[in-house]
Amino acid sequence: MPSSQVPSIAGTALDPTAVRPEIADAEIERIAPVQLRARLAELRAEGFTMLLDIGGVDYLEREPRFDVVYHLLALPDRPATVAEVGVPRRLRLLVGVPGDPASLPSICDLWPNADWAEREIYDLYGIVFEGHPDLKRIQMPSDWVGYPLRKDYPLRGPAREATPRPAFALKSNVPAGTPPGGKVAAALQKQIARARGQVAGNGEKP
Amino acid sequence: MSAAPEAPGRASTLDVVEVKGNTMTLSMGPQHPSTHGVLQVIVEVSGEIVEKAEMEIGYLHTGIEKSAENLFWTQAGTVIERMDYLNPLGNALCYVLAVEKLLGIGAEIPERAQSIRVLVTELSRIASHCVWLGTGGIDLGAISTFFYTFDIREDILDLLEQSGGARMHPNYLRIGGVNGDLPDGFLARLDALIEKFPQRMRELRALLQNNPILRDRMIDVGIVSAQDAVAWGLTGPALRASGIGYDVRKAFPYSGYEKYAFDVPIRDDGDAYARFLVRLDEMDEAMRIVGQVRKELDAPGPIMIADPKIAQPPKETIALSMEALIHHFKIVSESFRVPPGDVYQAIESPRGELGYYLVSNGNNRPYRVRTRPPSMYNLQAMKLLAPGNLIADIVVMIGSLDPVFGEVDR
Repeated sequence: MPSSQVPSIAGTALDPTAVRPEIADAEIERIAPVQLRARLAELRAEGFTMLLDIGGVDYLEREPRFDVVYHLLALPDRPATVAEVGVPRRLRLLVGVPGDPASLPSICDLWPNADWAEREIYDLYGIVFEGHPDLKRIQMPSDWVGYPLRKDYPLRGPAREATPRPAFALKSNVPAGTPPGGKVAAALQKQIARARGQVAGNGEKP
Repeated sequence: MSAAPEAPGRASTLDVVEVKGNTMTLSMGPQHPSTHGVLQVIVEVSGEIVEKAEMEIGYLHTGIEKSAENLFWTQAGTVIERMDYLNPLGNALCYVLAVEKLLGIGAEIPERAQSIRVLVTELSRIASHCVWLGTGGIDLGAISTFFYTFDIREDILDLLEQSGGARMHPNYLRIGGVNGDLPDGFLARLDALIEKFPQRMRELRALLQNNPILRDRMIDVGIVSAQDAVAWGLTGPALRASGIGYDVRKAFPYSGYEKYAFDVPIRDDGDAYARFLVRLDEMDEAMRIVGQVRKELDAPGPIMIADPKIAQPPKETIALSMEALIHHFKIVSESFRVPPGDVYQAIESPRGELGYYLVSNGNNRPYRVRTRPPSMYNLQAMKLLAPGNLIADIVVMIGSLDPVFGEVDR
């Protein structure tokens, strides 16, 4: 497939998080960007001490376009045995972010490990985290143009995407009766003819 | 007389970048051997004391998440295995568990397949800790450790090669089970490994555990308090060395871990030596699990679920059955559709909580594959650890966090 775009098939979901089947893997909440900081501070006070991960998703045709997903875990923040930790609560917080301008408040002051996670989403999705102390690219080179994990970013990169791959020589796009061409074909034909003994001076001339 | 010209090829990897007053900014890496990969640390030092350490990552960024979004569900496992190259089977396990959760077939996986999954991932855990111990020893000048640990690792890689067909990236764990049963002779070799392993561990402990140089280099270096460990998102041995007994295998058991008796090693000191001891103990515990799994493997049983839409039919039936041929062709040429939804699945990798957040829009390719990379969050804590320590201790601290750059950069 020359294009990196996943073909949209009739019946695919525009927002898969809305049609989610019953899978008990975490508590799930969806909030608006303006509520984000207040809600996260509240959750932290409630006992969700660890920010496990922040991930981004690009739903190209949906409004709001992006989802930023915060994974939280409620661990005791003092020494604790396995029995004391028990089955900690997991929570997944989904925040819809509009495509233009794509921005969210930073939560680096709430959890110090949000730093690299936010930089990575900025690097790969172009979502700006306001209030981040040092928002710059982390995985891609600093002079890179474009945001690679966006769905409209071609898989092979924009430069290579502009040069189309040569078409395969299929039976269907060669007219009937066309003699085989090219140096390889000529050499092959010569070899076959030689093997059949139809060429004079067999094996003497190159 | 002018100074003698410097001998060619002797330039240090620590090049002076900037000198300002009493502080000097140095660039360590990205090709520094003790950074365990391609990590650049830009350190500001005053004398030998580090004032600030900033890490540059991304030198190994290969766009695995983007690639996985453009492959079929059945194909994506091949690139996902290449993230954490010391524990490829762990990454594969986490991914297939997440897809199975979305498909709703998690409860149907045959028991033998689950046992084999636990077996190969626990063996991988030992092999991964062997690399950490070997290279960590080299960082501290204990070169012979490397040969001892790589000897154990070699035995394990031989076993993984026998079961999956490749030493490093076998793509052995598949959605719905495992690819092919254990071959003849596998269990005998496994028994031999189980038998000689305790002696090997005794040798390693005798070499290292009370070694005065090692203790001097590691005790009280890179201390993380329990509170900091949680705030910085440390998981795995790094978290448990700070006193918090969180292990995904105990808290959220998967693949039947609730059946096995094993302890979670915990230390309270939070320094590099505590992390070292936790990993050593973990190797013993992993072998304890392997020993229990071994007892289940004598009885034969299915290794794939029976659903022909997901499991490839056995090769020998393809030439005889029209339906088998059709199912095989369908799975290979267009994979299968996964119901829409999003899911998070975590496992305990040798480095901590490895998680996959998958989104399916009902298509035959994953819409989004987000990894929760334990190495990245563990490594990020260097910003907390490095200031105020000696520059030589940076090497020890990075080694004690055990980052794998295939996973940090993806």
